[in-house]
Amino acid sequence: MTLSVFVNPELQFSATTFFAKQHKGETCGANGLPLTPNSIILFGKAQFLKTLKNPYLCEYLDIIRGKHERTIVVSQFCGKPLSEYLGKKIFSDSDIIKIAFQLLTALSVLHKNKIVHRNLSTESILVQNSGDIKLFNYGFHYMTNNGQLVSFPIIKLSYAAPEIYLSPLKSHIANSKMDIWSVGIILVELILNKSLWSSLKLSQKIRKILSFYQCGTSVFEKIAREHNCFDVYQNLSAELKHIIEQCLQIDPRSRPTCEDLLKNEIFKEFKVVQRNNPSKVCEKYQIFTLKELYHWWKLAGGDIILELKKQGLIRSSPPILSMPCLVMLDGTVLGQGRNPATLYESKIVQMSLDTLYQRFKHIHLNFCYPLLHCKSDIIAAFDPPHYDTKALPLIIKEKDPEYQFHRIILFRRLLHGYPYTRDMIRKEVEKDIPPLLRGEIWAALLDIQPDYEEIYAMIDKETVTTTDRQIEVDIPRCHQYNELLSSSEGHIKLRRILKAWVHQNTQYVYWQGLDSLTAPFLYLNFNDEAKAFACLSEFVPKYVHKFFLKDNSAVIKEYLAKFSQLIAYHDPELANHLCDINFYPELFAIPWFLTVFSHVFPLYKILHVWDNLLSGDSSFPLHIGLSVLTQLRSKLLTAGFNDCILLFSDLPEVDIEKSINYSNDTFKNTPRSITTREHQNEEYYKTTEYDISGVTLNDLTRERCPRISATDVVDMIRNTPEKILLVDIRNPLQYSRCSVRNSINIPCSSVTYGEHSIENLGQYAQILKNSGDKIVIVIGSTDTDLELFPKFLLNCNIKKVCVLHGGFNILISVTPTVLVSQKFEA
Amino acid sequence: MAEDDIHSVASYVNDNYEKLIEKEIPIPYTKSVQELAYILITKYELPKYIEKELVKDLTDFIEEKERQFYDTYLEDEISRAKKDPEFLEDLTKQWEKLFKEETAEFADKKCTSDEELFASAYHKLVHSPALETILSVEHLYAKAVRRRTDQKDAFIQDLSEKQTEEMNKAVDDLEHGVTESEINELVAKHYEDHSLLKVRYASELDTLKEAQRREYRDWVMKMLEYNQENSFPQSPNSPLLTPTSPLFSGPDEMIFPERVKKNEVKEPILEESFTIHLGSQLKQMYNVRILTGTVEDLCIVPVSESSDLTPQLLQTALALYSNDLSGLVLITDNKIGSRVTKDFQENCLKSTEFHFSHIDAQLEKISSIANIHMSKNASANGSRSPDSELLQCGDFYLTKHSNLAQVHVIFHLVSDDSLRGSDINSRHPVILGLRNVLKASCSNDITSLTIPLLLQYDITEEMTTMWCERRAELVFKCMKGFMIEMASWGGSDLKNLQFMLPTGISSQVFHSLADMLPRIFKISNPKILK
Repeated sequence: MTLSVFVNPELQFSATTFFAKQHKGETCGANGLPLTPNSIILFGKAQFLKTLKNPYLCEYLDIIRGKHERTIVVSQFCGKPLSEYLGKKIFSDSDIIKIAFQLLTALSVLHKNKIVHRNLSTESILVQNSGDIKLFNYGFHYMTNNGQLVSFPIIKLSYAAPEIYLSPLKSHIANSKMDIWSVGIILVELILNKSLWSSLKLSQKIRKILSFYQCGTSVFEKIAREHNCFDVYQNLSAELKHIIEQCLQIDPRSRPTCEDLLKNEIFKEFKVVQRNNPSKVCEKYQIFTLKELYHWWKLAGGDIILELKKQGLIRSSPPILSMPCLVMLDGTVLGQGRNPATLYESKIVQMSLDTLYQRFKHIHLNFCYPLLHCKSDIIAAFDPPHYDTKALPLIIKEKDPEYQFHRIILFRRLLHGYPYTRDMIRKEVEKDIPPLLRGEIWAALLDIQPDYEEIYAMIDKETVTTTDRQIEVDIPRCHQYNELLSSSEGHIKLRRILKAWVHQNTQYVYWQGLDSLTAPFLYLNFNDEAKAFACLSEFVPKYVHKFFLKDNSAVIKEYLAKFSQLIAYHDPELANHLCDINFYPELFAIPWFLTVFSHVFPLYKILHVWDNLLSGDSSFPLHIGLSVLTQLRSKLLTAGFNDCILLFSDLPEVDIEKSINYSNDTFKNTPRSITTREHQNEEYYKTTEYDISGVTLNDLTRERCPRISATDVVDMIRNTPEKILLVDIRNPLQYSRCSVRNSINIPCSSVTYGEHSIENLGQYAQILKNSGDKIVIVIGSTDTDLELFPKFLLNCNIKKVCVLHGGFNILISVTPTVLVSQKFEA
Repeated sequence: MAEDDIHSVASYVNDNYEKLIEKEIPIPYTKSVQELAYILITKYELPKYIEKELVKDLTDFIEEKERQFYDTYLEDEISRAKKDPEFLEDLTKQWEKLFKEETAEFADKKCTSDEELFASAYHKLVHSPALETILSVEHLYAKAVRRRTDQKDAFIQDLSEKQTEEMNKAVDDLEHGVTESEINELVAKHYEDHSLLKVRYASELDTLKEAQRREYRDWVMKMLEYNQENSFPQSPNSPLLTPTSPLFSGPDEMIFPERVKKNEVKEPILEESFTIHLGSQLKQMYNVRILTGTVEDLCIVPVSESSDLTPQLLQTALALYSNDLSGLVLITDNKIGSRVTKDFQENCLKSTEFHFSHIDAQLEKISSIANIHMSKNASANGSRSPDSELLQCGDFYLTKHSNLAQVHVIFHLVSDDSLRGSDINSRHPVILGLRNVLKASCSNDITSLTIPLLLQYDITEEMTTMWCERRAELVFKCMKGFMIEMASWGGSDLKNLQFMLPTGISSQVFHSLADMLPRIFKISNPKILK
């Protein structure tokens, strides 16, 4: 038995499809770039509809773009159209008033959001089992930019207000009064209990409506007489009659607005009825909504396009039968007839949820209410066993409906409790992030404050500034393969966020790349610009602190120097090769780190990289950089300078999961201080006297091996002595006087540096050669050369070589001491 | 916000706050009023606490202005509608037209055309076990045509030989009483006989093809019915499956021996394939091939008495009514059905075209469409060059075929002598024409495309190695640009792109061009199994 929480008559959806208008010939936009395809403009525009939630509105779920400008709209669809009840059911006055009230309420929500239905009819009003209504397909006219993006008319013949017919050319102006007329017609139909002008032909219907312009009397009366229902008209209650008469005013100016109508006395009783909500603080918590159900349905094999094909809504005649005959140089296409399959058809296809029900059949109700806080093992033991997917790759886990069910249920709960559940969210994120909730989870990871919307609203995003030109150039080049980001709506939003950021961060300037950095946030929070901005504002100080200074060269150089050192630390062979051919990170890695790879990878890869980044710190990008190099390692090792330049000019495809796993590994296994920078944001790093500080950029770029802090060294001496190899390079006298426990002594003056052979080290050569994954910490003092010796080790391809910052002396003050004296031991 | 979306502008003036606030506000206003208020607060250095008040004031102002706007924008039309019935009638017609042209509900219901019926029948059958039968039947038909063609050629050759003999004799006899006029008469007679024979055989061939076509189409429909009744799959040996038609056999009395093939020494085909990816962030994969060959190699189906089916045909048949068509760019000149492509046209006639109208008819139709367009253009603006009945360099026309070996659609791309030169650049009309070819492919589901890399079929003196490299580089780079652009067109993606080089090209030049390809296109990372 499938749980009743899934099988809910309101949790149903359907799809409609149509073609956006094709651009004719060769046309360019004002900026000289090719025009955005209409289906993409529409795609961006329609996103807003997903945010509308009201008990009397069907929820929009998804917009899908097919080939050749096909657009598919997925929306909640439940209950039966009102048109099917006409003539079959007697509507009492109170029924009609209730429908009118709900309809007007729904419309007033739309009108407040500057949406005009314009396509209203009894077919787009769905009657629920409860008798309530839901308005369907109300965003059609809105998403097509008031009809401009499609070639067919978006109106319902008998219901359209007469002024709509007056202006086929001006049809992209939509006045909310048009809907009021349609409400009037719908009410008339309900009262007469029949659909109007049903026997008339197309042109007759249009003529009929236009003829109202020449009729002096009441439209309602005229309609009633024409349909032989004058008696019904006469017997109708005065209030209802008055409302209808008002709606059916031929002049839109005289028609009231929804608000006006709702003030009417007869709706009074409905206004008192509030939805019962036990909590006064927040909305009632739902364990999941239709949006989640749709997501699981898709994962469980639901395929909208396939379903539409099955129902015959996507018909395709073979393309070879409709080839054009001639194409002129200017792009004019001749001899290609209109494919009848591309005409508009208003059919609605209801999606079957059976496969999902089947897939979720065995899910226990307990799973819908996961235990979050549990201190009792006994109770925890009653929790049903977890759905095991540990061994599966991330891509598979993201596609597994059942796994995603558990994750989404859990994360929705946790997000509901944010910010109090912040730590639990962080902990869960280490496993993975369910794609559906990524935007919210990221916001939680970035500690977005609840007042983010207000802050954003206060920022001026309009006033012209000097960076506008650059922003304008960059936006149409930013991740344009993505439908959201390439839509006009996406461009507007991206521009506003960037301008807001520049306005808000006067200490910084707009560097190219900031657009790419913003893209993932905008993509995830397309309908919440303020949140995207808030994420960006939190992200920058945390991960790319000071990168956007007007003069960022010191910051970037330091970062790149650290990158070189990290390569040397983990992969001396590669580092030596790159050094030999003079191929420095400056030549390729600046965009990597400036944009945290958002300029390098496609969005779907960035999302996975950043999933991990957000639980790491600002050194994580270095590790990703290293992992990318590691993937190209074999190529790089055999390549010369020119080949390398070529290779990086257009980075080859990178296996991102491999890369992430690798960088997680190196991130975990690299002592923090190896990647510590002077320019990192102090706010996120607490420093003590034992940490690294005061290293000049010159020193840093000269040193090929990284420094390690006393904090890390002492920590490892105490906790993981088996993982380190301490090499004391002071002279034997100093060494014997006092040295670190278990360190070996190779006086740096005893080594011949001429050739890169580890054997030169004499008795300790073997130990270093077999150091394997041990961290080789070179300890010197002010009088020893702290560059030559580590460099020598590096040149001998010894892994994980680092130098203790501050030299031996810094360890003297450490208590309890880690030092021993040879004399005592002797 | 685009300029044309702003319908009206209202000037907001407010002096409640000891300062005069002025702002032009586009109507209808679609942005956030709250943000507008903050902008004004910053601009006029107003105290923050007035925010709520200002927002309300602005909202009221905008609402009022919008109401005014909506009230007035149709004023003229409404008053006109009240007194002008003709205006209303006119509107009715416009709306009716719009509905009939654009919506399935009101469009003239056309029943599925014969073409579509046949297409779907054929498509179903070739995707069933009947595929082999269909292809072998087609092959038998082709053989018959071939036999008849051979016969015709032989007869004509016979006649020519006879006539030459006669003529020689007559000329020899010139001194012995045969007058010049008699010889002239003889010439005329020979000519007449010759053309008569030609016409006779041509019409005979046409009749044969027409009959074959009819029989074939009937048979396909019947077979589909049969298959549906008996439900797939079934053995290909059932009686209905192979029609025993007289049209299979040519004239029995004369079975011609296999003509001795001109024993061409086939040049070895040079070819190299690459998998490339394009795009800076999101990488799109394509297969690119560079090979030597001729248009014939892709078009001619080898048909002879002993020949069997070639496997390529199978692929071509399967894809014919699919969304994965394959196309070929054929360079031609500015006359439709020009002699430049004579060989190609003859190749098309070597077997019966079962699906589409034959090449001459297609070309004729294209001609007439072109003429209508040109005359319309010429009358509209005299801008097109004086010989406006001709196509221009960079224009192209399309023909579709079901009887060619590896292609379904031919792009006849108009070019001129300037292509021989070495100084063409990316703005050359033929290059722009190639862009249109890609665009047409993209919007018509042609996913495999072959183009001549050098835009030439023969190797001439001026085509030095340098010349070839420059031309190849230009075409590679332009195609790369177009393909990147194509990704945003929203049609079907090109899957295979073939660059064809003339067969005679030296292997050294070939390899230098093949080496150039991975430098221009980015080769995708090979997956290495570890």
